[in-house]
Amino acid sequence: MKRTYLGEFEEVVLLTVAVLGEGAYGVAITDELDRQTGRSVSISAVHAALHRLQEKGMLSSRMGDATAERGGRRKRLFTVTVLGSRTLHDIRAVRQQLWESISPNALPAISI
Amino acid sequence: MKPNPHATPPRWADRLLTWFCAPHLLEEVQGDLHERFVRRVTLFGLCSARRQYAWEVLGFLQPFFLKRQPQEYSPSSLSPAMLRNYFTIAFRNLSKNKVFSMINIVGLAIGLTATMLILLYAKDEISYDRFHAKNPNIYRITSAWSKPDGSLDHKDGNTGDFQGPKFKEKIPEMEAFVRVQSDMKNVRGNGEIKGYEVLFTDANFFSVFSFPLLSGNPATALQKPNTIVISEEMAEKYFKTKEALGKILEVKEGDKFVPYQVTGVAQKCPQNSSIKFDFLLPKVVDPKDYATNENWFNFFQNTFVVLHPQADVTKVEAKMKQVYESDAAETIKLMATKFDEKNKAGYFLQPLLEMHLSTELPAGNGLVDASNPMFSYILTGIALFILLIACINFVNLTVARSLKRAKEIGVRKVVGSNRKQLIWQFLGESFILSFIAFVLALLFIQLVLPTFNQLSNKALSLSYLFDARLVIAYVGVFFATSLLSGFYPAIMMSGFSPIQTLYNRFNLSGKSYLQKSLVVLQFGLASFLIIATLTIFSQFNYLINKDLGYDETNVVMVNFGEWISRDKANVLKTELLKNPNILQVASKNAGFMATLARVNGQKEINFAYETIDEDYFPLYRIPVKLGRNFSKEFADSTHSVIVNEAFVKEAGWKNPLGQLVDFWYNEEKYTVVGVAKNHHFADLNQAIKPQLFTMKNGRLGKVNIKIKPTTESASLEHIEKTFKSLFPLNPYVYNFRDLENKKAYESEAKWKQIMLFSAILTIFISCIGLFGLATLSAEKRTKEIGIRKVLGASVANVVSLLSTDFIKLVSLSFIFSFPAAYLVVQKWLENYPFRIEINAWVFIITAALTICIALLTVSFQSIKTALTNPVKSLRSE
Repeated sequence: MKRTYLGEFEEVVLLTVAVLGEGAYGVAITDELDRQTGRSVSISAVHAALHRLQEKGMLSSRMGDATAERGGRRKRLFTVTVLGSRTLHDIRAVRQQLWESISPNALPAISI
Repeated sequence: MKPNPHATPPRWADRLLTWFCAPHLLEEVQGDLHERFVRRVTLFGLCSARRQYAWEVLGFLQPFFLKRQPQEYSPSSLSPAMLRNYFTIAFRNLSKNKVFSMINIVGLAIGLTATMLILLYAKDEISYDRFHAKNPNIYRITSAWSKPDGSLDHKDGNTGDFQGPKFKEKIPEMEAFVRVQSDMKNVRGNGEIKGYEVLFTDANFFSVFSFPLLSGNPATALQKPNTIVISEEMAEKYFKTKEALGKILEVKEGDKFVPYQVTGVAQKCPQNSSIKFDFLLPKVVDPKDYATNENWFNFFQNTFVVLHPQADVTKVEAKMKQVYESDAAETIKLMATKFDEKNKAGYFLQPLLEMHLSTELPAGNGLVDASNPMFSYILTGIALFILLIACINFVNLTVARSLKRAKEIGVRKVVGSNRKQLIWQFLGESFILSFIAFVLALLFIQLVLPTFNQLSNKALSLSYLFDARLVIAYVGVFFATSLLSGFYPAIMMSGFSPIQTLYNRFNLSGKSYLQKSLVVLQFGLASFLIIATLTIFSQFNYLINKDLGYDETNVVMVNFGEWISRDKANVLKTELLKNPNILQVASKNAGFMATLARVNGQKEINFAYETIDEDYFPLYRIPVKLGRNFSKEFADSTHSVIVNEAFVKEAGWKNPLGQLVDFWYNEEKYTVVGVAKNHHFADLNQAIKPQLFTMKNGRLGKVNIKIKPTTESASLEHIEKTFKSLFPLNPYVYNFRDLENKKAYESEAKWKQIMLFSAILTIFISCIGLFGLATLSAEKRTKEIGIRKVLGASVANVVSLLSTDFIKLVSLSFIFSFPAAYLVVQKWLENYPFRIEINAWVFIITAALTICIALLTVSFQSIKTALTNPVKSLRSE
């Protein structure tokens, strides 16, 4: 089965967009990433990833409302496309399959 | 919490972002950054927020955000298909609107012609004397005379025989000197005697000046006496060949002709040379003259020196002062006591290259073509006027016509043309038009060059055009014209909104102030020139028609070409009077002589010194108001003089008869026996100055002969026969007094022609422009006029409706041009002691003329429009 390759960061960003639902735009995504993963990500990296995902057809976008703190500029709101959704599901299925294929004692124990 | 309005991100960072970030990403990126910034200000404070903002901006500095989104349709404006389209459209537009294209092209061509001619003229003016290889080290010795109080009395470009050799001897920086003395000589060849201006010069003439010889050795050609260098033209004339070396020409010296051997034939002197010669003779200075130190004060020729290239001119001038003051010390004292010459001379050097255009120290005394830079300035001004008016036409017509092209512009914009492309398109079109005009201008130049040469006193030819610097200047003019005329329309037309233009009722409303003010400017310039022309014409007429105070009609003058004695003159008189057609004969000195004398004991008066005989006053019908005319019955030649009224006034005499005029330097005293009425003996550009008439022997140079009216040919035949039999060795040249008088006003006549030409050209170009505008305005209002006619407007109504606007503009232009013209014309007239008053009529005529011409131009179109059938204009929407 063939699918578009997604990098790890792209995957996380795509998932975050899904998490945020309607309100997914640059700042919110960066904050959410920060909160959920504990990584400090730069906003420029997020923007670049978002646009790459859009080019790959996994995100669609529209311009949202303007707010005062943005100096009257509009947000670009992202939503996951069908392709994006399928890709996420595929990745998840592959992971699931892989997890299930691991023999119970193959991984070293991480808890005592 | 309310956001602090002063909490803004660093400006430079924001600007940087705006500059580098791709436009399609900018809004969201900047929005996000601002949002985070605002939050950080509340969380961490302004400083930290600003720092982080800047960091984040820098974080965006990566290829992804720099890359501009490719536009889906971006035909390069230089793709062959687009270029072809531009050319097609341009030529279609040109051929569709033939009238406008013609107006634009012809107008521009005339403007360009004028400008190019002036460039040609200016180039010629500044190229004078540049061809000499020894430049810039050739200088002319000049002197400045200061009064005892230190103020400048006058400057003099002339020198004598002393200055050259004396300075060269003592000043090592002077490498050579050459003196050039002009003289009139009678030359005999082919059995014909003719008077020429010849130049006497030193043997090293050809080593200082670069005049190539066709044959002969330039180093030795002028070394021996009785040798002569002639121009190729003269060689052709006298020997029918340019190989004239060793042949003999006869030059009159004293009473006889002396053979001179031709030792060189020179190429024709360049057109742009201040030294032009047909005959060059070796200069011989009598050793006795060198011994007479008083010759420091004799000024009659030009002396040129060549300085060492490293020489410092101011130092050389200081040395000249030293040499003069030591060598001439005694003479200076002598002059002060004997001739009362109190002015002090200082010697200076004038670079040869500056001589041609110098008004202070002009070329003269054998050097020719002295020119006033004023002439260049005025010509340049006129040419720029004309070019400007042509450019205004272009702008006006293109803008006015843009209405018709609005749809094209709209469609172009809708299919994706951007403003820059449109600007280039329209600029390109103006370049095409200018180019056609440029080619046309070259043709025009070829046509008018002879007339221009005659007006400007030059011998320019079209081949002069192919000079690298001139070509560059022309290309510059071409580009400047194209830009000047194309830029505004291009900017304006490319700014049309496509929605408006494509909507049916687009109207180029607005007051079009620019267009109107340009029309005002055009007609302002045109009426200015008309006033100038009218004034020059009436001043000229005044000058040639003014009563001169004497009767100039039917007087033939014959020059003897030398001084002759009174006896000889009387013999000629008797012989001439034998013919019944000859009414009166009077001899006079030739040329103009001035001298000074004392009256009332001490007072010195400068005056014109005229040697005449007793028939002079009757012949010219000059009344002797007081006292009597000269007469054979008195010993007038040794005792009496007659003076004119100006002399009496200058002397301050209440009772002039019997007063003494004291020529103290000759120790001669004369009694005034008569006062002649003032008459204009010099031309009218000068006031009537004091004049003194004497019967003293000798110094008679020409004979005035009054003939019966309408007997010109018979009389002239008799005069020629008599003259040749009595004076076989003198050249016979005759002039008519009245024609000769007219010649004095040649420069006025020239100005008259120049102004007439330029006025006609400006008014012509202005009118074709106005015609174009009127046509367009009529076209724009076809429907309106149709409706007016349907509702009952008469043709006259419509015509006045269409014409009033333009006439108003033309009238408005008078407000600006009349005062300006008044001032300039007044200034010009002040040059003339005898002048016309500026008359209100000049302005009225100008106004009437301009309005008439404008009305004629406009009404042609208005009437045409007013006569159209309203059905035609209203039928189709």
